[in-house]
Amino acid sequence: MEVKKEIDKFKKQLHNSIDVTSREMAKNDVYVGFVYLKSITDNLIFSTAIYDPILKFQGDLTFDNLSQIIKCNDVSVVKEDDVISKILKGSVIILLSNSEEFLAIDILKFNMRTPSEPPTSPVIMGPREGFTEDLKTNITLIRRRFCSQQLVFEQAMVGEETQTQVVLAYLNDVADKKIVKEIKNKLSKIKIDGIVDSYYLLSLLSNRPNSLLKQIGNSEKPDIVAAKMLEGRVAVIVDNSPIVLTIPFVFLEDLQNSNDYYTNYIYSGFLRVIRLIGLLIAVVGPGTYIALQLFHYNVLPIKYLITIADATQQVPFTPFIEILFISLLFQILYEVSLRLPSYLGLATSIVGALILGDTGVKAGLISPPSVIVVAIAKIALYTVPEQSAQINVLQFIFLIIGASLGLLGLIGGTIYFLAYANSIENYGAPYLAPFSPFILSDNKDGILKVPLSDMKNRPRFFKNSNKDRMNDSER
Amino acid sequence: MTVKDKSVNAWQTGILLFILLFANKILVLPSLLYDGAKVEAFFIPIILFSLELGVLFLFYKVKTKFPTQSFAEIVKNHFGKVVTYVIFILIMVFFICKAVLLYNITYIFFRNLIYKEANNILFLFCFLPVINHLAISGLRVMGRTAQLFFPVIVVITLFCIVVGFFGIESMPLFFESSFSDVMLTALRHISSFGDVLVLFVFMDKIQIKKGQWKILFSLAGSAMIVVTIITVVFIFSYTYTSFMHPYALFEIMSYVKEYGGLGRIDIISMILIIIYTYFHLAIYLKAFMASFSVVFRKIDEIYSVLTFNFLFLIFINFLVLNLEKAVFYGEDILPFFSVISFIIVPVVCLVLLCFKHRKKRGD
Repeated sequence: MEVKKEIDKFKKQLHNSIDVTSREMAKNDVYVGFVYLKSITDNLIFSTAIYDPILKFQGDLTFDNLSQIIKCNDVSVVKEDDVISKILKGSVIILLSNSEEFLAIDILKFNMRTPSEPPTSPVIMGPREGFTEDLKTNITLIRRRFCSQQLVFEQAMVGEETQTQVVLAYLNDVADKKIVKEIKNKLSKIKIDGIVDSYYLLSLLSNRPNSLLKQIGNSEKPDIVAAKMLEGRVAVIVDNSPIVLTIPFVFLEDLQNSNDYYTNYIYSGFLRVIRLIGLLIAVVGPGTYIALQLFHYNVLPIKYLITIADATQQVPFTPFIEILFISLLFQILYEVSLRLPSYLGLATSIVGALILGDTGVKAGLISPPSVIVVAIAKIALYTVPEQSAQINVLQFIFLIIGASLGLLGLIGGTIYFLAYANSIENYGAPYLAPFSPFILSDNKDGILKVPLSDMKNRPRFFKNSNKDRMNDSER
Repeated sequence: MTVKDKSVNAWQTGILLFILLFANKILVLPSLLYDGAKVEAFFIPIILFSLELGVLFLFYKVKTKFPTQSFAEIVKNHFGKVVTYVIFILIMVFFICKAVLLYNITYIFFRNLIYKEANNILFLFCFLPVINHLAISGLRVMGRTAQLFFPVIVVITLFCIVVGFFGIESMPLFFESSFSDVMLTALRHISSFGDVLVLFVFMDKIQIKKGQWKILFSLAGSAMIVVTIITVVFIFSYTYTSFMHPYALFEIMSYVKEYGGLGRIDIISMILIIIYTYFHLAIYLKAFMASFSVVFRKIDEIYSVLTFNFLFLIFINFLVLNLEKAVFYGEDILPFFSVISFIIVPVVCLVLLCFKHRKKRGD
């Protein structure tokens, strides 16, 4: 093999990118070449564990001998076809003029943040670590929680350009094999140019990708993912993403919170009821207010009616336009505050809350009851933050229904929406289980919660290989 | 297999039946019954529900005998195609007529009370998309959705009854009307009953295990008791002026309008009536679709929905939409169609069950 020529060939295949690095040396009439990407490899390891030992080596330069002297674990002999993919995954390739094969040594390294409390899931009690963008770190965070030979990690590659590593994690004796197989099948059928984040897989793994409803669970916290795996779910870890997906998913999961499991069970149940009420207010609150004001003012008690009439008589717009205007204003402010640098966030809040809100009321453009209704509904959106995107859309839909069809439309809309949610089954799990279909044993961790000692079984609303979590003797 | 094609379990069947047994009975009916049978009107639900329980028992027997077959298949195997078509055409007519009556009563009720400026189009915009969606989504989705609303329905219904008891101030005089008055009134309003018939239409989609029949009977029995109690509470609350108050459940609540610190609570009964009406209409449509697919086997399901919608729109626009017409329609026309639920289907069931006995004797 002509080492120089081969190196040039690989460089050309990589379009002479600036981070493609090569080194050459000659020892005892044998030419040795090295090719790697300096942007994703550990240069120190390269020089101390690979280059120096070869330079000092006095024997015959063969792959067998090199494997002995190189101070790295992940060493393999590869064919020419695999060279480029190995380089792209952080390996250094060694070429010898007396061999037609290549030696690949994995020295991948890039800067990664350390596990920290995820901003999307702050906790009062319980573990504070979160997943990072590094796949190996994420696997470690899960592995650390299971000292079990049943914990399985299986790898798949998704994305023609990105070749992103996707890892399925599950407990072999708990997870249902059919679900694992179905996920693997879906992953193998994905033909896409690249997967940049785990969110790309959300719609690709969903049974009804066009649905408004979230159908795959996601979490940034390893304790939550481990708890879900213990129930028999499968975790999908994607390289370069701190969000781990869990399958199957039901709506109840978002009503639960990791804090529920680290506090008193009665208090947890109370909080879940509050979340449910918050959810209801968020979805139908503004719509109901409009419906009562436009269609059913005669059912309002006279005192409330007078208060509302007093407050709204100066407002030049219809109640619907008024509520829609305030809701859109809030949405614009929300979008702006997300994208603005933090030092400008305070200014936006002042402009939004004081100038637009307060002055709007004083100028008679909007009425105080409408501001209160929208404010309560928008705050209530975040009682279930994982569902806030869907609820936000629903809030607007129900606002329009309430304004155009009144109470009859609102209840009809609710029935329609719940029927739609009931028609969804993901990987065999009914979306609104364990409420419909009602499964008594699974309601031990439903709206209300029983102590952990009474939760002896795994959920029944989706398939898993082992239903028992706790024997009486283990209590 | 999609969710749509799947069957319903004992609980879901029971809940759907529970809801359906309220249809056409909690608004205008108690007032009309009083008009015909005075205080003894509350015997009428007891009499007609007893008949309905008998039909339910026949369903249990037939379902146990033919656990996997549909009612259409059973009738076709034993009586031939013509009888099957006649029965299912009658069932289709029965359910669409009941749906029209129900819609009209609900429309009149809401238009008089909370939708003073609304027209029929608004009501159709509310009802049609929802009932079509529920029916097309399938019996299981409908059952699951009903299951989700069931606690709400039970709590509000019980609340209405409890509150209604506070409105009873004195006992009315009994035995003002004769036995024949009671029976004639029962006959005039028989069309408001007979909803157990839907179970026969969905027979093959219902899966009830051996020990679960008591769930179905308990839920059906509870609904019958609750409807009877609502009638009793209404008649005892309004006594001699009952015939002037056409919206029973709402009237019960509005009689005790200001209760403690809750303010106006009659809106709760309206919410309940809305929920009931959506499910009633959806079940009627689904029953119509199932019957339609028996009569016109090669025609796609969507055409049955379109047919229902088309006929529904024609009926409600040309026949009724005011209380007098609705009452005439319910009292003088619809009772003839009740033949299907109280005579034809029970007779067919009895004959089917007799076949079994003959076979046994032969063995």
